[in-house]
Amino acid sequence: MFDDGTPIYRQIADQIKAEIMNGSLEPGGKVMSTNQYAAFYQINPATAQKAFRELVDEGVLYKQRGVGMFVADDARERLAADFRERFFERVLAPLVQEARQAGIPLTAIIDYLQNQEGARK
Amino acid sequence: MSSLANLSLPNRRFALGLGLAGEGLKYFRYWIAAAVVLAFLGPLALSLSTEIELSTWFYTANVGKWFTAFVAGGFLYALVPNMIAAGLTRRELSAAMGVFGLLWSIAIGVLVFAGLLVERVFYDAMGWTQGIQLNDTITTLGSWGETAAFAAVYPLMYLAYFAAGAAIGAAAYRWEGSGWLLLVPVLPVVFSLDNALYDTEPFGPGWMGFLGRFMDDWGRAAVLAAIVAVALVLAVAARRILIDIPLRSKKA
Amino acid sequence: MSFSATLRDVTLKYRDTDALADVNLDLEAGKIYGLLGRNGAGKTSLLSLLAAFRKPTGGEVLVGGEPVWENAGIVSRVALIREGGDFDDSDSVKSTIETGQIRPAFDTAYALKLADRFELPLKKKVRELSRGKRSILAAICGLAARAELTMFDEVHLGMDAPTRDAFYKELLAEYMDRPHTVILSTHLIDEVANYLEEVVIVDKGRILRHEEVEVFQNMGATLTGPAAAVDAIAAGLEVLAEQQLGGTKSATVAALEPGTRERAAAAGLEIGPVGLQDLFIHLTEPNRNGA
Repeated sequence: MFDDGTPIYRQIADQIKAEIMNGSLEPGGKVMSTNQYAAFYQINPATAQKAFRELVDEGVLYKQRGVGMFVADDARERLAADFRERFFERVLAPLVQEARQAGIPLTAIIDYLQNQEGARK
Repeated sequence: MSSLANLSLPNRRFALGLGLAGEGLKYFRYWIAAAVVLAFLGPLALSLSTEIELSTWFYTANVGKWFTAFVAGGFLYALVPNMIAAGLTRRELSAAMGVFGLLWSIAIGVLVFAGLLVERVFYDAMGWTQGIQLNDTITTLGSWGETAAFAAVYPLMYLAYFAAGAAIGAAAYRWEGSGWLLLVPVLPVVFSLDNALYDTEPFGPGWMGFLGRFMDDWGRAAVLAAIVAVALVLAVAARRILIDIPLRSKKA
Repeated sequence: MSFSATLRDVTLKYRDTDALADVNLDLEAGKIYGLLGRNGAGKTSLLSLLAAFRKPTGGEVLVGGEPVWENAGIVSRVALIREGGDFDDSDSVKSTIETGQIRPAFDTAYALKLADRFELPLKKKVRELSRGKRSILAAICGLAARAELTMFDEVHLGMDAPTRDAFYKELLAEYMDRPHTVILSTHLIDEVANYLEEVVIVDKGRILRHEEVEVFQNMGATLTGPAAAVDAIAAGLEVLAEQQLGGTKSATVAALEPGTRERAAAAGLEIGPVGLQDLFIHLTEPNRNGA
């Protein structure tokens, strides 16, 4: 269920973010409890708690005492902005490096992308 | 053990002692029943060929001593790891064994007391004499009072044998391979006192009763006092061995 | 009320050998701990002290803040389940379960429910059980003890994979239902890693490491690539193991320094994770220097 590389709490946090982005978690909607997450993924509840704490710190979730965790109203915008910010570093930087190793000139990549854009129109 | 349901912490050692006595009697109930039946049927069968002049219950009662020592030692040997692993302290276990020993000795002692008295009625009705074999001679229990006095010391004897068994059982668990050697000092002392009290040959090798020869002149009261003292010493020894006993490691 | 567990300068000797030497350990209440160590490292000795199965040769053992030795109020709420259980083999399964009632908090109904779920024959004698069923009986007695400190020492031995899985699941459910302190000692580390909050590694009678499980998960990395590049990046790091295949080299390092990940990526090295199990093997390697 989890890959070995990243800590499990990070993977859970990423998954909740993905659910917010793809709409399966609505802004203002209630998130499952730590114990529910722990039971579902068969992990220590403290691990699930860590994921939640991180998301609260990032402003993606907010806590209502005695009620539970909810998705922040602006969570989707926040995540989208964050995603745009990190897009070049996360997606394009490795691409450029691989292209260099393979000897593909950047102009070829630009041509390819432009063709893609053209094909969609 | 049903007696353990809904117990509270302070009284659990007593509940456990009560439960052990109940379990012990229940576990050996068929053996005990068989011994009782044999003690009455034996002389009846023998009477077909010979004159009955010895008490069968005397032998039954003596076997009871061995049995008691065996129960105390065997139970304790098994209980040490089970009970400590179940969250009991060693002090609680030794208190429970004390309750167990008292109840067991009283129960078996009362059974033997009743057996000897009923045997008296039985023998009187059949016209037999209730006799106890001393070294080579037979002493007849002449009156009811003598029978009762003879039978009355059994609960105390059982207590002494129980304490001896418990001490040896605890030692055998504690010192794997060598603990049972506690038998060597304990047996002669207990046998000698037993011997001195009845002035009879005890079961087992005769030499073990050697101390009894020095006690021939002791009064009955002195011997009884010595038995009480030895039972106490053995109980204290058992408790001492038990009180900081480590659980054995699991064999890999 | 979960129990904390503390060892202060604890030494345990068996005759002349030190099973534990000057051990200091603080386990906070209410967490699930993994206790790892090679055979003979001192895991069982450590657990035996916490359960008052043994008395330390020196030092103090506190459970729930109190000395645990001969403390009925504490030991009645501490459970150490050893491999195969501590049973009277001539007893039936049912009366073995009922023996647990010596603990005031013991939950007989729960034990019987689990016995039913794991298909334990109640009427059979303990000695007639298979090794796997015997382990299940031990595990059930541990869960139903409803203790404030519950320790399982290699209790999974003899259980098949689905049974182990069901046991861990039940353990987690019971833990969430009723917070208490749990210590799992096992060799199947990766199997339990996700259930743990903290990990304690014992080696040669001492505490080698005690960290949150994530620390271990972030700790190591395997760097693979051209030998020269690997050597350059790994220089100055604690190298646990090295392998070479032609010009390609793979180095397992105990910990990455900040920035190493980026430098390694820039140098075209592949960075792989090190599982808890592998990390444990490397950390307790007898020939490892500077441990």
